[in-house]
Amino acid sequence: MNVSSQTWIVVADDPAVTALVVAARALSAEVTAVVAGRRATAESVAAAGVDRVLWLGEPAEGTPVEAYAPDVARTVADGAPRAVLGSSDGAGRVMLGAIAALLQAPVLSGVIAVEHDGDQIGVTRSVFGGVAERRDLVTGGPAIIALAGGDVGDPSGAAVPVEEVTANPLTTGRLTGVRKKEKAPVNLGAARTVVAVGRGLKAKADLALITGLADAIGGELACSRPLAEGVDWIPKERNVGISGQQIAPELYVAIGISGQLQHMVGVRDAGVIVAVNSDKAALIFKQCDYGIVGDLYTVVPALTAALAPKP
Amino acid sequence: MDFGLTDEQELLLDSLRELLERECPESYIAELDRTHQAPTSFRLALHEAGFASLGFPEEYGGTPCDAVTLMMLTERVSQQGLNNGYGIELLQAKDILEFGSQEQKADILGLLAAGAVPFALGFTEPGAGSDNSAMTTTAVHRDGTVTFNGTKTLITNALDAKYLLVMAKSSDGDDERTAISMYLVPMDAPGVSTNKLEKIVWNTNDSCEIFMDDVTVPDSCLVGRQGNGFRQLMRNLDLERLVIAATCLGLAQCAFDDAATYASQRVQFGKPIGSFQLIQLKLTDMAIKLENIRNFVYKTSWMVDQGIPLRSQGALCKRYAAMAAFEVADDAMQIFGGIGVNAGTRVSRLWRDLRGHRFGGGTDEIMVHIAGRQIIREHR
Amino acid sequence: MTIVVAYKWAPNPQDAAVGSDGSVDFSRAKSAISEYDPVAFELARQVAEATGAEVVGVTVGDASIDTSLARKAALSRGLDRLVIVADDRLAGADSTRLAAVLAAVVRGIGDVDLVLAGESSVDVTEGQVAMTLAGQLGWLGLNAVSSVSATDGGYAIERDVPSGTASMVLTGPAVLAATTDAVLSRVPGMKDILGAAKKPVEVLSLDMLDVSSAQVTLTAVSASRPAAGNRQRVIIDGSDPTAAAAELVGALRAAKVL
Repeated sequence: MNVSSQTWIVVADDPAVTALVVAARALSAEVTAVVAGRRATAESVAAAGVDRVLWLGEPAEGTPVEAYAPDVARTVADGAPRAVLGSSDGAGRVMLGAIAALLQAPVLSGVIAVEHDGDQIGVTRSVFGGVAERRDLVTGGPAIIALAGGDVGDPSGAAVPVEEVTANPLTTGRLTGVRKKEKAPVNLGAARTVVAVGRGLKAKADLALITGLADAIGGELACSRPLAEGVDWIPKERNVGISGQQIAPELYVAIGISGQLQHMVGVRDAGVIVAVNSDKAALIFKQCDYGIVGDLYTVVPALTAALAPKP
Repeated sequence: MDFGLTDEQELLLDSLRELLERECPESYIAELDRTHQAPTSFRLALHEAGFASLGFPEEYGGTPCDAVTLMMLTERVSQQGLNNGYGIELLQAKDILEFGSQEQKADILGLLAAGAVPFALGFTEPGAGSDNSAMTTTAVHRDGTVTFNGTKTLITNALDAKYLLVMAKSSDGDDERTAISMYLVPMDAPGVSTNKLEKIVWNTNDSCEIFMDDVTVPDSCLVGRQGNGFRQLMRNLDLERLVIAATCLGLAQCAFDDAATYASQRVQFGKPIGSFQLIQLKLTDMAIKLENIRNFVYKTSWMVDQGIPLRSQGALCKRYAAMAAFEVADDAMQIFGGIGVNAGTRVSRLWRDLRGHRFGGGTDEIMVHIAGRQIIREHR
Repeated sequence: MTIVVAYKWAPNPQDAAVGSDGSVDFSRAKSAISEYDPVAFELARQVAEATGAEVVGVTVGDASIDTSLARKAALSRGLDRLVIVADDRLAGADSTRLAAVLAAVVRGIGDVDLVLAGESSVDVTEGQVAMTLAGQLGWLGLNAVSSVSATDGGYAIERDVPSGTASMVLTGPAVLAATTDAVLSRVPGMKDILGAAKKPVEVLSLDMLDVSSAQVTLTAVSASRPAAGNRQRVIIDGSDPTAAAAELVGALRAAKVL
């Protein structure tokens, strides 16, 4: 399949696109965005540093953005870019899936680096949950790439026109309401220090110990997967690992976390990693800068006390 | 000889492991032991997953199952650290299945399928323990009713159960064995009173004295034939011994794993104590005993499944399992040292609970009595 | 009315042997129902218990996924029957390939209302196959689904969205990927496990399926183990918590992260 020299980004009603734009610019001089969702999103994207915005029109009341996936796919196929980037969260996966099905191309995830040599795209990915890395060349058509979305800085660029194109969204699903969450949003990615807790914590009531340390150290609270679901002690947004947040704080303190691969992949790029665990054979002790082998129920209070400002 | 697991056994053990993780963690068992409560919520969870009606015909809501698989499940529950957590009630209900009337079967098996304790075994009396036929509780039949008078003691799970399976003297015949009959007596029948006994073992099973003072119930409470009580009871004793042996196996395995882990982590004189030969000797001999108990339990279960008469096998298995398992727990206690004797520790609970199995379900010495005579008989 | 559960029989990468050349060897690892799939089985079962729908399990992969244990493990989770494609030509297949085969199977089953799947697989962990399957079928694809129930003329679902929980009504076929904690999946019970051997299993040949062929492929260039990370691995004995805390805080201050 012949591809152009462009890189496209797909947007599913989430205006925080600077991460995708930056990645796209590294691949091509020309970046087109195809946007499904409200006009306001399209206008926001139009000022985020892309060269062209194709917008699939204002969704009728109750139409979910995922209903536009086939239209997104068709529009991308017509454009035949060398690469198309989308968010690995939420509806981004749906859009990328539709594109992949239409183009019969793989979606590349766990991407560490992307580079191009002319129209040929090379991708380095973390595979099998992070146990290995591999580099592949994409041949025969566009590289479809899932990346962490969100904003990595302020959007900048002269606003380009929003070009509306006709769309024929699926009608098999209708939104009937949204029940808003009570909690304030969490931005773990921006925190300088993060204190995470895992299965070593025996009871929900013991969380006070950990939040006490987080306060004393000036850090955000996070957790490994089991505490965010199943046990449900900590909101999902605070889950760090392959199925949650991937963060790179300056200091990461892991309390009662064994150091399983699926979790550690989430903090691979942290500055300094500290671990507290009672099992001296725990995997995490091979993946930290400083490790205390001890009972978190005595070590954490001692740490909190040691961090308190001296009178 | 295939020592591997079938697909079904693997899947059953996987499910059981998941269930135990969710519904029966150590903190739960420790709390029950401390407060002398029964594992009701775990029992219900087992029932919901269908484990409570194993080994029974489908027409009574059960799922037929072989003895080897049943013992694997019993072992696994015990290995969690829970004593008498599985197997005993199911097996007791077999008595009813074989000898009971249609109404009795439906009633008891329905209770089992609902996750309840259908009955407690009411055999032991103050003057009749190992010498069971020295019992003095009487059952007088008159005008379509039976009247019970007597005292039973050290009865397990009676306070939780709907019925008492009473063994009582129903006639004055010379042969004590033909004078005993088996009855299902409701625990809430007028004249039945109880006195809870405080014991130091098996805290999750209540133990009590039961006083029957002119307890009169319809004679439909008779199980099987009058005068046939003793023979009916003997029928399933071997299976009971097997369940006890499998329980001992699981509890001992738990104690062993705890002790071995502790030995690898506890540092004294600059090294883990597991690097000292005297500790290694204990652990090695414990491992050998566990292997022996395991082979004994599963060979005996296999014999049951093949329909091979057990003869003395059940008694040999129970005696060895209970004694060797206790030795394993005792060595585990020694390895733990001062920590083991703290109240609330798992190893101290396992040690206490295993001690009980050396007389529960037939004493070590009665097992010799049973097996010894049988051995001589076979070699005549 | 048919509900399909698309699941995976796969090993955990933690159990794989990774060579210094980045090769990943799963031969010693034990496969099982993928860790996040049980929730899809449970959701399907709950809907079927309410509606009487047939629940069909579908799985595709290399030849090793078709074993007696694998079949029973799936059938013991509330399936009425199972359809498998097990062909070594699918070894290492990417998400689009797997989705194409799954789509061919689903089309062959016919009259399917819903395809339910887990959030992601335990071994690949991309969270992509289900949504690409939606694309292959031309159906609505929705992820982060936390609840599914039957309603007049369709299904009512709930999904996690950034602002909260969105409710939706489905009036046509869809592929739904469930969150791992959407519902607590029941432990396969006795009757389910012992009855699994009696349920029907159909093994379909890859050659007999109408599967779109891949247009874009990947050419492997190199592989490696992840960089060890050059962590310092300074281990402090925590048996005296106060001393350990003092040592750590001192080191962190010296490293200027505190």
